[in-house]
Amino acid sequence: MTTRAEFLSRIRTEVGKTSGLFPAGTAQRPSDPRAVTETIKRELAERWPHALERFQLEFERVAGVFHRAASLVAVPQVVAGIARERAVRRLVAWHARELGGDLLDSLAARGLEPFAMPPGDLDSAAERAELRRRVADAELGLTGVDLAIAETGTLVLRSGAGRPRSTSLLPACHIAVFDRTALIESLGQAGVFLELWNRGAHEDGVGAVTSFITGPSRTADIELTLTRGVHGPKEVHAIFVDQVIRG
Amino acid sequence: MSDTDLSVPFRQRAGSALGDKHLQEALTIATTKFIGLRREAFGEFPEGERLRDMAREIKEATLQHLDRYVDQLIDSVERLGGHVHYATTPEEARRVVLDIAARTGARLAVKSKSMASEEIHLNEALEAAGVIPIETDLGEYIIQLAHERPSHIIAPAIHKTKGQVADLFAKELGRQVAADPEELTRIARVELRQKFLDADLGITGANFAVADSGTVVLVTNEGNGRMVTSLPRVHVAVMGVEKVVPSMTDLMVFLQILAKSATGQKLSVYTTLVRGPRRAGELEGPDEFHLVLLDNGRIRQIAGPLREALYCLRCGACLNVCPVYRQIGGHAYGYTYPGPIGILLTAMLEGPGSVKDLAHASSLCGACADACPVRIDIPRMLVELRREVDEARIASWTERLAYRLMETILASPTLYRWSKPLARLLQRPFARDGRIRSVPLAFGEWTRTRDLPAVARQTFQERWPELQNPTATPGSSTATGEPCDRSRLAPESGHPRPKPDSRHPLQ
Ligand code: SF4
Repeated sequence: MTTRAEFLSRIRTEVGKTSGLFPAGTAQRPSDPRAVTETIKRELAERWPHALERFQLEFERVAGVFHRAASLVAVPQVVAGIARERAVRRLVAWHARELGGDLLDSLAARGLEPFAMPPGDLDSAAERAELRRRVADAELGLTGVDLAIAETGTLVLRSGAGRPRSTSLLPACHIAVFDRTALIESLGQAGVFLELWNRGAHEDGVGAVTSFITGPSRTADIELTLTRGVHGPKEVHAIFVDQVIRG
Repeated sequence: MSDTDLSVPFRQRAGSALGDKHLQEALTIATTKFIGLRREAFGEFPEGERLRDMAREIKEATLQHLDRYVDQLIDSVERLGGHVHYATTPEEARRVVLDIAARTGARLAVKSKSMASEEIHLNEALEAAGVIPIETDLGEYIIQLAHERPSHIIAPAIHKTKGQVADLFAKELGRQVAADPEELTRIARVELRQKFLDADLGITGANFAVADSGTVVLVTNEGNGRMVTSLPRVHVAVMGVEKVVPSMTDLMVFLQILAKSATGQKLSVYTTLVRGPRRAGELEGPDEFHLVLLDNGRIRQIAGPLREALYCLRCGACLNVCPVYRQIGGHAYGYTYPGPIGILLTAMLEGPGSVKDLAHASSLCGACADACPVRIDIPRMLVELRREVDEARIASWTERLAYRLMETILASPTLYRWSKPLARLLQRPFARDGRIRSVPLAFGEWTRTRDLPAVARQTFQERWPELQNPTATPGSSTATGEPCDRSRLAPESGHPRPKPDSRHPLQ
C-alpha cells in the first residue's frame, strides 16, 4: 500500500519540475473574516429590505415558496396552513434552542403532531434508530437557517446538536424559518462566513456538515423532464420573520 | 456491468451510434438544451468571465504547490478524526474500499454519483466481495439496472427513453409503471429511500476538497449526496488528488461557475460541505469517515503534457458543444470519461496508446475550450496527443507513412516542385470535379468519410509568375471544396479559438 510519505514525495518531485513556470495565485482570503462578517452584517442592517426582495425573487425562481410572518409566534399559523393544504400532520422540528423558541404547543393546538429533536445526541443506538424512524415518517420538517443568500435564493444550514441533518432532508416538505440577521447578499459573502466557521478549533455543538439548499430536490435524468422531490424534499418553504427571532 | 466492447474498433462503435436514430435524436435534444441553459446563465452574469479567469488561476496556483495543499488536507481531515488513504492504482483504491467494507461488516453500500469510483470500477469489485452497491443518482440508478455505463458526465441516462425506463423498472423491480417521468421518479424515490436507511456504507466522490479545513464538497441536485453522507455508519469519499482547493474563498469562485456551466443553474440544489465523521452532540452522520486520494496517472501529469486536463471540474459543458460528441454520444468513446476532455483523461489514466483513434475524434473546432469554465485548451492537447501517438509509433503505419512523405516533400523545394506533376498523374483515375472521393489500398480509410481536394491543374506556386503580371488572364483553378456547414453539426463550433490566456511552458 502506498504511504503518505511516498505519495507526497511523488507529488513533490513533479511539482518541483514546474517550479516558477506558472505565475498564478489563489483567491485573496480575508485575513480577519470575523471583522469582515461584522461589516457585512452592519451594512445589511440597513440594506436588508433590498436583499430580502432579491432573496424572494431568486427563491421563487428555484420553486421555493416564500411566506412572511410578523414574529416567531405567528409562525405556527403559517405552518398549520401549509399542513392543512396538504392534509398532513406529522412534523419534526429542530430543538427549541436552535429554532429560537418553543413552538410545539402552539403547533399541536392547531392540529399538528409535532415532535422536537433532542438537544444533543441520544444514549443508545436503539434510541437513535427509533428517532430516525420518526423523522423518516414525518411529512413536514421545521428548521432554522444560518444564512439566506439573496443572489441565489439559497438557505445555508449547519448541522449540530439539536439541529440534525435529516430534519431538512427526509420529510417531503421542508419549512425553514429565518429573520434578517441571516440575510446576506452573495455567494462571495457566504465564503467569508465559511472562512470564519471553519477556522480554528471546533466550537461545541457544531456538527460536521454545512448544507447549501437551493430549492427543492430535483432531477432531469429521464428525458430531461424536470421532476421535483427525487430524494430530498419536494417542497421548500421559507418563512421570513419580521421581528428578529433572538432580539 | 458490461463495458463498451473495446475490441470493436472506435470507427465501428461510432458508426453504430450514428446509425441509432433514437440516440441521435436524444443527443441533439439534450445537448442543445444544455447549451442554451448555459448561455442564458452566463448571459445574466457579467462577472462570469472574470470568475472563469480566476478559477483557472486558482487551479494553476494549486497545482504549483499541490504537495503543500495535499499535505494540509491530510492533516485537516485527520484532525477531524477522519482517515486518509493513498491509492496509486485503481487496484489499490479498490482494495482500500474493500478493506473498509470488510472491517466494518458492510453488506449494502449506497453511492452518490462519482466519476472517480466509475474510473476504478468499484461496483464490480464490491459485488465480487459480497457487498451490494446501489447507485442512487436517478440516472446512474437507471443505467445500473440496465447494466450499462453513463453516456454523459452529468446526465448519465440521456440515451434512454421514458418507455425504456418503464420497461426496465417492470423487469428489474417487478412494478408496472406508466412511462411518465414523474411517476418513474416517484417509484425510484420509494425504492431508494429504503436503501439509504438500510445501508452500512456511503460512497461518494468529491467535487472539491478544501485543504485548510478538511472539507469534502459534494454538489448534487437530487439530495442523494446528503443522504449518503448522513445516514450510513461509514462514509468513504474517493477523490482524484487534483480536486484539492486551498480555501473556502477559492471554493466559492468555483461554485459560482460550476452549476452555470453544467445545467445553467445559479447553484445546484445541494452543495454539501462535509468535515469528517459525526461530531459530538450530533445525532446523525457516520461514525467513520475515510478519504481515498487517487493518483491513477494524475501525478505524473503535473509536469506532463496533459497538465491542464487536471483543472477539469467535470461540468460536461465541453461534451454538449462538441460536434463529435453530439453525433456519437458517450458510449462510443468506450471509456469512463467521454467527450473531448474524456479523450485527454483517458490518455492520462490509460496511457496514450488507448487513444490512438480517439485522439482524432475531434474537429479541433475549439468549441470545447470556449465553453470550458476553466478555459482548458483541449484542442492544443489533442494535437499534442496526436503527435505523441505518431512519434511513439502507435498510430497506424499508413498514417505515419503519409506524414513522413509529406515531411520529406515539404522540406525540399526540388521534391516539392516535382511532386505536383507526379500527383496530378497519379490522381487521374480518382479525381472527379476537383475532388478525390476514394484512394486505393489501406489509404482508403482516410477517404471513407471525407473527400480529398485534388491537386489543382495549376498550383499557386505555378501561377505565381503570371500573378505578378496582372494583365495576363488568371488561371482558373481553385481546388478546395466548399466549407462545411458547421452550424448544423454544433451551434457553438467554428468560433475563433480563444487566445490562450496563459503561456504553456511545458510545451
Ligand atoms: S474540460 Fe472544462 S468544460 Fe469539459 S467537463 Fe472539464 S471543466 Fe467542464
